[in-house]
Amino acid sequence: MSQTYDRGTVESYGRWREFSAGMWAWILHKFTGWILVGYLFTHIAVLSTATGVDPASAGAGATDLYTATLSGLESLLVVRFLEVGLLAVAVFHILNGIRLLFVDLGMGLEVQDKSFYASVILTGAITVASVPTFLGGAL
Amino acid sequence: MAEHYSSFRRGGTLWVLQRVTAVFLIGVLAFHFVLLHFVNHAAEITFLGTQARMSQWGYLATMWLFLVTATFHGVNGVYNALVNQGLTGTAKRVVGGVLALAGLLLIVQGTRVALAMSNVV
Repeated sequence: MSQTYDRGTVESYGRWREFSAGMWAWILHKFTGWILVGYLFTHIAVLSTATGVDPASAGAGATDLYTATLSGLESLLVVRFLEVGLLAVAVFHILNGIRLLFVDLGMGLEVQDKSFYASVILTGAITVASVPTFLGGAL
Repeated sequence: MAEHYSSFRRGGTLWVLQRVTAVFLIGVLAFHFVLLHFVNHAAEITFLGTQARMSQWGYLATMWLFLVTATFHGVNGVYNALVNQGLTGTAKRVVGGVLALAGLLLIVQGTRVALAMSNVV
């Protein structure tokens, strides 16, 4: 017979030393989700510089606001590092999201901790491998 | 026993839509990252290059669906996170309304941006 115990509210972060792999996965998914939705609003704000561009003059030698804004941001080294961070966040959210979809389907429940560790390791590997691409031309 | 909060309602439309948009976003977010960072490097992006991509109907439609699904998935995710934290009653309705309005405004502005980038209309 199963037993119940008072685990406190689910989001009792003060118990973080007791968290299992599944709890860390849940927290990291939420954390990366907050960053991605924040970035989505910022991204559309930056891309809004395209709304004032006259397409006829965009290729006539003069630099338009959209192109100047993007190249200006890309010339900052800190932006390149932030992009690496964004990739890490997006890759983890995707991989752990696939894991969650399988769990929702009732598949892989018995290996949900191992699939979390796999998501973390694969995120790290993809992030490290992407660093040369993101920092290319900035250093 | 501790009070239990959950955004989960079996058979709930929002619950299903969160999963359906997740499946779409897995592919499109990965495609977006690869195309605009690994195939075309972000530092070399120009308005004319963006316009050339966004003037293809298939690409424009994919990016617009990306905007709509990402906005829904993100805003609904924030709402779920706040409900998990114990948001109830009037505060829950107000937060839900504010998030829905913010999402709607983002889709409107994103659509304006997409059309400004494209020459199909």
